[in-house]
Amino acid sequence: MAVVKVDKLARSVAEGPSLMTGSIPTKNWMDVPAVFKPGNYAYPAKAEVIRYLDSQKGVSFPNAREWNPEDDDWKLPENWKEIILKGLADRLDRFRSLKIFMDCCVRCGACADKCHFFIGTGDPKNMPVLRAELLRSVYRKEFTRAGKILGKMVGAREMTAGVLKEWFMYAYQCTECRRCSVFCPYGIDTAEITMMLRELLHMVGVGINWAMEPVSNSNRTGNHMGLTPQAFKGNVEFLCDDIENLTGVRVNPTFNRKGAEVLFVTPSADVFAEPGIFTCMGYLLLFEAIGLDYTWSTYASEGGNFGLFTSNEMMKKLNGKIYAEAKRLGVRWILGGECGHMWRVLHQYMDTMNGPTDFLEIPRSPITGTVFDNAASTKMVHISEFTADLIKNNKIKLDKSRNAHVVATFHDSCNPSRAMGLLDEPRYVLDNVVDNWFEMPPNTIREQTFCCGSGTALNTDEIMELRMRSGLPRANAVRYVHEKHGVNTLGCVCAIDRATLTTLMNYWVPEVQVAGLSELVGNALVIEGEQRQDLTEGLRTLV
Amino acid sequence: MEAVIEALARKKREILSLWIERTLDSYVAPGFFKTAKDPFANPVGSNITTGLTALFDLLLADAEIQAFAQPLDQVVRIRAVQEFTPAQAVAPFLELKWVVKQVFSGDQGLKPLLAKLDELDCRIDRMALTAFNIYSECREQLYRNRIRELKSGSSILTDAACPSALMRRAQQGESAGLEK
Repeated sequence: MAVVKVDKLARSVAEGPSLMTGSIPTKNWMDVPAVFKPGNYAYPAKAEVIRYLDSQKGVSFPNAREWNPEDDDWKLPENWKEIILKGLADRLDRFRSLKIFMDCCVRCGACADKCHFFIGTGDPKNMPVLRAELLRSVYRKEFTRAGKILGKMVGAREMTAGVLKEWFMYAYQCTECRRCSVFCPYGIDTAEITMMLRELLHMVGVGINWAMEPVSNSNRTGNHMGLTPQAFKGNVEFLCDDIENLTGVRVNPTFNRKGAEVLFVTPSADVFAEPGIFTCMGYLLLFEAIGLDYTWSTYASEGGNFGLFTSNEMMKKLNGKIYAEAKRLGVRWILGGECGHMWRVLHQYMDTMNGPTDFLEIPRSPITGTVFDNAASTKMVHISEFTADLIKNNKIKLDKSRNAHVVATFHDSCNPSRAMGLLDEPRYVLDNVVDNWFEMPPNTIREQTFCCGSGTALNTDEIMELRMRSGLPRANAVRYVHEKHGVNTLGCVCAIDRATLTTLMNYWVPEVQVAGLSELVGNALVIEGEQRQDLTEGLRTLV
Repeated sequence: MEAVIEALARKKREILSLWIERTLDSYVAPGFFKTAKDPFANPVGSNITTGLTALFDLLLADAEIQAFAQPLDQVVRIRAVQEFTPAQAVAPFLELKWVVKQVFSGDQGLKPLLAKLDELDCRIDRMALTAFNIYSECREQLYRNRIRELKSGSSILTDAACPSALMRRAQQGESAGLEK
């Protein structure tokens, strides 16, 4: 739609022509350039961050520089095109899946209207098929005979600076949530195409700071914030003080303790930011209630792994600390907290990247005796599986009335639901800790869940509008259950969700708060010897 | 005005359909927004359709301005975070004037009413001004969200330097100073 001009507005009042001109596209998508303006792109990675990462063993982040997406000149290295095409050739060779994804799409359109970015923006380049086509068109031109000869007729195009800019725009308007791949009859995983685009862009020094600074901090101190071991331990201890004030129960977690049975790893956001800290208080209370022999680690102090949004090598390196620490401490198995993408890395990649784990045992709950065969290869169990098993075996006492203030719904986080099939355990837990909870409509939950709109390091404030529109499909379903059933709490099992859904709800459905599932467990948990205050808002109550 | 209201009620389907179509045409690729009927698969199309339909009924009923807030919000809250200028975001409400004139012009029997649309135009203006209020509230909410994220610590993720690196740098700085 054209900008409304003052003279036109004046005429419209006098004569009544339309204010709206419509903007149905008249150009082929290849001829519509990506235009960068404040608010529609995330800030580029700081040069110092990239320089530091490039100096590290096992990873490569060349061409660090200051650059601005709004400038015509992105200061790309002189041979950038050669770097990109070589990088693509290398990846086509190494990753058979990429080669297949490039060749097998028949453009049936099943994915087209499944992406939350497309649903919220109406931008055709946010249709997963077209987003993939941004790369596929170059692949055709450079790697297929038909494309070389027939060019645009077969959807092939030259790799130009304009194409590169388009890649940057749309590789960072995809949260790798994989909803589209649920609907693809060929099983094309568009998330993997986005991953490849991002990897290729990193080869010419094009990346975003919200991904790279946490990666850099994690590489240095083990967690996104760059917390020192002392600060990490201090934060957890603050939460223990809060728990004591609220419940009268003194929790004394241990850190880096050799010989503990279980190593507990969770996103560092649980330790320092609201509302994650309430979830963390839930874990601490639960472990105390069952007397679990476990330890925290200040080295493996981050479950999140922004390497997944960066490059294969970076993901592998950041993930390595979990097994390394499990080995050093001599634990038997690993328990993981509530996180989204962390579980994609753990469940789908960790074993092949950093295994085998012959130094660990197949996880067995010391409380119930249940053996978690599903984690036989990774040796890592999800807190919701662990909790559901405790409830099923009657090993914890829960008082639902302590969540009387909660009318909940459950948001399946993209990765636990689609990447590891964690669908029923959280629901079972919810059944047992709250009286009232209601499902959102079927095409917005379980495998078909809608992303929060801010995953894969897009949870930064400079693209707030983009986050709000891409989160609309999720928020729209929450608003429905809020209006129909009076839902006031959106439960979830992901740290990014806890942070970003809170903002999303503030905009779309401000009556709804966001809570981690373990927070709701912590609220309901009855512990021997407790001297609990009247906690009208559970662990969030200010006393 | 009664004759106008009656004509509007009679032409409701035609007017609404054109109004909704032109509003959705403000998107780059409106096909999906226009055709998908599931409200959860197509929140933009369905909220705009429901919102504009409710607004039309309120206009006919000469409802109190407070009653317009909810359906206006349903439309404006979406457009306030999409790639529109403020004017573009609220333009659809004023567009109704054009739509009504267009429909009345196409019907010989209704043409005489074209000279009697002043009151309707005035009601539409009031609705559009309310939409502008809501647009501003939405934008302010976005800025509050930004500030809340900054204060809540989420932003510490990247906008604060790594504490251990700072400590090391400070120590290096001190020792460099000592050597001098």
